[in-house]
Amino acid sequence: MIKEVHETVLWHLGDMTFHGKTLIMTWISMAAIMVFCFLGVRNLTSGKPGKMQNVLEWIIDFVRGIINDNMDYEKGRPLLSYLVTLFMFVFFSNMLGLIPNFTFNLLHDVHFAELGHIFATPGMMSPTADINVTFSLAMLTIILVVFLGIKHKGAHYFHHFIEPNPVFVIIHAIDLIAKPMTLAFRLFGNIFAGEILLGVILMLPGIWVLPGILPTTIWLAFSIFIGAIQSYVFVVLTTAYVSQAVTTDAH
Amino acid sequence: MGGNPIQFDYTVVATVLSFLLLVYLLGKYAWGPLMKVMEERRVNIESMLTQAENERQQADKIKREYQEEMRKARQEAQEVIAKATKVSEVRSAEILAAAHEESEKIKKSALVDIERERDRAIADVKAQVADLSVSVAEKIIRQKLDMKGQGKLIEQFIQEVGEMQ
Repeated sequence: MIKEVHETVLWHLGDMTFHGKTLIMTWISMAAIMVFCFLGVRNLTSGKPGKMQNVLEWIIDFVRGIINDNMDYEKGRPLLSYLVTLFMFVFFSNMLGLIPNFTFNLLHDVHFAELGHIFATPGMMSPTADINVTFSLAMLTIILVVFLGIKHKGAHYFHHFIEPNPVFVIIHAIDLIAKPMTLAFRLFGNIFAGEILLGVILMLPGIWVLPGILPTTIWLAFSIFIGAIQSYVFVVLTTAYVSQAVTTDAH
Repeated sequence: MGGNPIQFDYTVVATVLSFLLLVYLLGKYAWGPLMKVMEERRVNIESMLTQAENERQQADKIKREYQEEMRKARQEAQEVIAKATKVSEVRSAEILAAAHEESEKIKKSALVDIERERDRAIADVKAQVADLSVSVAEKIIRQKLDMKGQGKLIEQFIQEVGEMQ
């Protein structure tokens, strides 16, 4: 069943393999974000902002609020741009899987980059429904955490690994590994499961298609909710981890 | 491959690069300018607030000055009125005193006049009384003369007239 919903399309480049569909979808959501942002910053003004500019400013203020809640804003400010992008990317990615495939088999016979296979499913796919994407975002988060920890505390950053006792280094190591793991698997699990269920509902046979409209609608609405929540959670957790790393020991 | 959805490969690298590219592009072309604009607006609003505060203070100052001036003017007016009242009081007292004096003078002169008139009247009466008594005496004497020595007198009178001629 899973295989039918998400058939992995592999691209080969030398010895390397890539999940073609995931990458295509990643780039589609990136393009969508860039179009969205372009619409927002097209007529930038410090006076009365337009509708799209207002939306973007609201998103920035939203993420700024998250940073403010978690740490000293001065330390978090360089992160703002990254976190806003992260939020937008995860949100758009989550939404992408809910959009039907509008290519109508036009690409069916295109063999370049196996596009015919990629666009064979009834819906698009969330890049975040691939563990590779969520894992890369989580890795970036943890790299950011360690990097900023060292930047703000120097070598002292590593000191917290052996607190309160050198034996605790094991626990701290597990903690450091668990953070990106949970980040990646939480997002992946939520979105992947949502898409599987969506795909399953769409695969309802014959006479069940019409009654299936209601559950599809409900599930789509719920998936939008989940997608929004998950993007929020991802950003909040990233901020929280970073703040743990950069905040001087107050605990 | 099978149905296992958890397979790692170089997609991670590609995704990381793609995402970093997205972060870079958006940071440069979207968030950067947008935040600059927001900052500008913040500064703008701040300066406007400061300006408004300044103007409010200025208005306050002007208001206080006006109040002070009003107070002063009122005080001055009161002073002027008080002064005028005092002056008028003094003046009225003066006028009263002058009038008093004048009346006193008039009264005195009137008294003197009266005294004089009275004296004159008395003198007149005295003179009249004297005249009257003289004429009464004359009449009495003439009556007596008629009765006794008329002839003698006539004689004497004729003699006197003869001597004069």
